[in-house]
Amino acid sequence: MTSNSSNDNEFVTIRNLEKKFGGFYALNDVSFTIKEGEIFGYIGPNGAGKTTTMKILVGLITDFQGAVSIGDFQVPKRKDEIHKLLGYLPQSVAFQEWRTVNQTLTTFGRLSGLSDTKVEERIPEILSLLGLADARNKKVSHLSGGMIQKVGLAQALLHEPKFLVLDEPLGGLDPLSRYQFKDIVLKLAKKGTTVLFSSHILSDVQDVADRIGIISHGKIKQVGTLNELKISLVSQKMVQVLLSFASDKWQEFGAIRNVIGVEQPSPGRILVRLKAGSDEDQAVNDIVQNVVKLGIRVRGVSVIEPSLDEIYFNYVSEAENR
Amino acid sequence: MKTGLLFVDELRGFYKSKVMIFLWVGLPVIALMFRFISASSSGQSIPFTVISALVVSSIGGTLASVMLAVFIINEKNRRVYDLFLIRPLKRRDILLAKFFSVYTCVAVASFIAVLTGIVIDYSTTGALSTAILTDAGQSLAISLSMIAVACSAGVLIGVASPTVLVGAILVIYGGNQISVIPLVPTLLNLPYASIFTIVLATTVAVGLLVAAITIFNRKQF
Repeated sequence: MTSNSSNDNEFVTIRNLEKKFGGFYALNDVSFTIKEGEIFGYIGPNGAGKTTTMKILVGLITDFQGAVSIGDFQVPKRKDEIHKLLGYLPQSVAFQEWRTVNQTLTTFGRLSGLSDTKVEERIPEILSLLGLADARNKKVSHLSGGMIQKVGLAQALLHEPKFLVLDEPLGGLDPLSRYQFKDIVLKLAKKGTTVLFSSHILSDVQDVADRIGIISHGKIKQVGTLNELKISLVSQKMVQVLLSFASDKWQEFGAIRNVIGVEQPSPGRILVRLKAGSDEDQAVNDIVQNVVKLGIRVRGVSVIEPSLDEIYFNYVSEAENR
Repeated sequence: MKTGLLFVDELRGFYKSKVMIFLWVGLPVIALMFRFISASSSGQSIPFTVISALVVSSIGGTLASVMLAVFIINEKNRRVYDLFLIRPLKRRDILLAKFFSVYTCVAVASFIAVLTGIVIDYSTTGALSTAILTDAGQSLAISLSMIAVACSAGVLIGVASPTVLVGAILVIYGGNQISVIPLVPTLLNLPYASIFTIVLATTVAVGLLVAAITIFNRKQF
């Protein structure tokens, strides 16, 4: 299950976090840590508890069980100190529509404790970094969804926070903006900013995250670097079968000896998970014999190292099947 | 205290909103229409100053409270406040800034309307009696008191209502009833009615704002 790293430079600590909405557990015994200057990718299906965790961290939800701290400060008791360290981009960012981009950023900068001079200095800097220099005097209500998302990122970065919480920050961004965003996040982390970000786009998480946490149904399924997550799955081993034509017969692979699970992450691509310690050559042989017996046409069969998608599917489907 | 910063900010947003433009220009125009209607129907006209104050308190108070409630519900439901609440400021600052900015705008609109009344009365009669000016002063005190209560009711309803529709209904029916509370000393012919009106209105407005802030502080976003 959870493989929390215990390191002395932990910046964010979450211990046994629980949050219930009515009788429903949005978070159930969630524990993980984020090291200082680390980019922590938080992934999970819709409704898994990612946003709830983030809202607790930033102090929007104060009614919860468990211990949460950022730096030396306990959440939500030391909210005022924490809010000085924090930059937050919510999943759906919204601003008062009568404001211009400049007014929006000026207000948020001042509220975050920047002086007038510093705000004046930072706004053009951050807007040109995000390719929004021309939008400075535009009304927020006249901006496209992607541009609003960028203004959201601008307000989160404006005061150079020590801890950035980004909830689905790449949603609505074009590929170039996504690339720029990832570049900004990597540069910030190099300067010592700690980043927690969630995304449904697993390749983006894979590109920037130092460590990854997988959450499903309010429970942390696994935490670790991409390599650690791979190793945890490699011990189970996986065989990939590429079908020539779509067929439902692949489900029969589940009956093969030493097979503990079969999935179809994309049409025609079948992943067969093997029992830990089983002989992969024997398994490939058994699968090939089954393919022949079932009359399925295949393009290839190979033992594979899991990608983040596979790791994600593995842990999430494990939780779904429970 | 970030209320000052947010107050100036909100003021910038409100003073050029469509509703406020209606208050700045529309109220004196409506008061003017009332004056001509009353003059032509009864043959003798009520001082325009008094009409202006009456119009301001009834229409202005309702509009201000509806505007506050709708703004708050909308911003709350669109999650506009998330980005404010994660900054080092008190939740009450947001509500107080909204209350004071709308109240200031409507108070200025009231002064403009009453001042227009005084100017028109002066230009038509050639002189202003002390009685008219006293009436105008009292009417203005009552108007501003009623508007203060209406605005605070707007804030409370805005914080507590789940939807704009529910909020608007509650403000129009409930908020309006509450805003007549400051009229009680005048209706009872109490001595120093204006002072009692102001004290009563301040107490009710503070009470409603405290309730709104308490609910807002407990809210999980």
